[in-house]
Amino acid sequence: MTVKWILHWTPTPGSVVNSQILSEISQCVESFVNAVKDGRWKATLTFYRPNLRDQSIPSEFPRDFLGISLLEQPNKYYFIIRGNKIILEADSTILTIMEKLQSYKSKVALNFEGVQYKMGDFQMKVVKVVPNQGESLRGILIEIEYLPISSIEKAKPIMEEFLEVWREVMSKKSLPGHFTQTEPHFADYKLPDNYTSQHTAIQYAAALAQLIQSAQLRG
Amino acid sequence: MECVVQGIIETQHVEALEILLQGLCGVQRERLRIHEICLKSGPNLGPVASEVRLLCDLEQAEPSWTVRHIGGAMRGAGAEQISVLVRTMVESKASKNVLRMFYLLGYKLDHELLRVGFSFHFNRGAQITVTVSSINKMLKVHATDEAVPVTPGIQLVEVTAPASAETYAEVASAVSSFCEYLAPLLHLSKPGISTGVVPTAAAAAASLMSDGGGTTL
Repeated sequence: MTVKWILHWTPTPGSVVNSQILSEISQCVESFVNAVKDGRWKATLTFYRPNLRDQSIPSEFPRDFLGISLLEQPNKYYFIIRGNKIILEADSTILTIMEKLQSYKSKVALNFEGVQYKMGDFQMKVVKVVPNQGESLRGILIEIEYLPISSIEKAKPIMEEFLEVWREVMSKKSLPGHFTQTEPHFADYKLPDNYTSQHTAIQYAAALAQLIQSAQLRG
Repeated sequence: MECVVQGIIETQHVEALEILLQGLCGVQRERLRIHEICLKSGPNLGPVASEVRLLCDLEQAEPSWTVRHIGGAMRGAGAEQISVLVRTMVESKASKNVLRMFYLLGYKLDHELLRVGFSFHFNRGAQITVTVSSINKMLKVHATDEAVPVTPGIQLVEVTAPASAETYAEVASAVSSFCEYLAPLLHLSKPGISTGVVPTAAAAAASLMSDGGGTTL
């Protein structure tokens, strides 16, 4: 599997995320010389909470337990406990098992809805973050993928170079914000240098955590 | 969903059973070494206590993990008429940190065991798996290298077949029919209904060994 970097949009203080900014960002991608639209993409992230018999007893269970499904892995599901830096890849039947156990319940679900663009050796997705039940835009992400290489270390200089080009394109638009990459700390999760869907799941979880933190700071 | 029957056989007759199964199934046996870890939810987690099993296949070069949830058995007059147990069962393959994940989620070790033996997978009216194994307990937590038989001299035989709400009757019938061939050596019944070893086992085993001896290299 080839290397992906996921960056999240950080609005400048006082500004908001809206569909106008999403449209401008999409135009930046489309302005790349050989950019071709290549279909849609989706992932869903669900926050789980322990199902406690007695709510008054302090919970010792993880509060950052989440699950992710990815379109490119229709038969898989990913569970992450961010605080413990652990990711589990399982068959999607794990969801049926969790439902039967009833020890954790899904609380909030968010969709990542992306438009994919092919551009030679690179692929980009412009991704909007929306609630599972609703339309309001909660955040914007971009995903950059370098097709020829699956080693994260080897892809790093090439991705950084592409990012420079991307930032230059973006700067011409003078939008109120910028894209930030959250350091995913793959080694903490004991993941190898060869890129996999587990790496993708961790990046989307990390990007969302950053989006939530920025939104909370903006009040 | 799955259909299940179980029985026991003396270890001295396992070789004869293997010869019989080889002849009936027409496939090669597969070695089996499965570490089964049974976890229960900790206090206050979930409306009722829940149980989940993690199975680690130690026979592979790289151990592989499966999460298994066994649900309630089918009840009622229909269920009583069927000689096999029909129960819900869901499995999911999982990556190797599944045990750590469940511990972090608040599950605790209830018990664990090591199954060592062999299995046959074949199709005979249904996709059937016959497992013959000794059940071993660990003297230290998760120490599979230090396991001792729970019942020395006796091994467990399980016949299982996946089923659905639409096919369980047909699958149960296929399993029952197959089990009749094993009757001289062991009696298979619903788990929880113990029938002990079969009195004809020794004679049947001797017969199989003398027949099979001619082809053994």
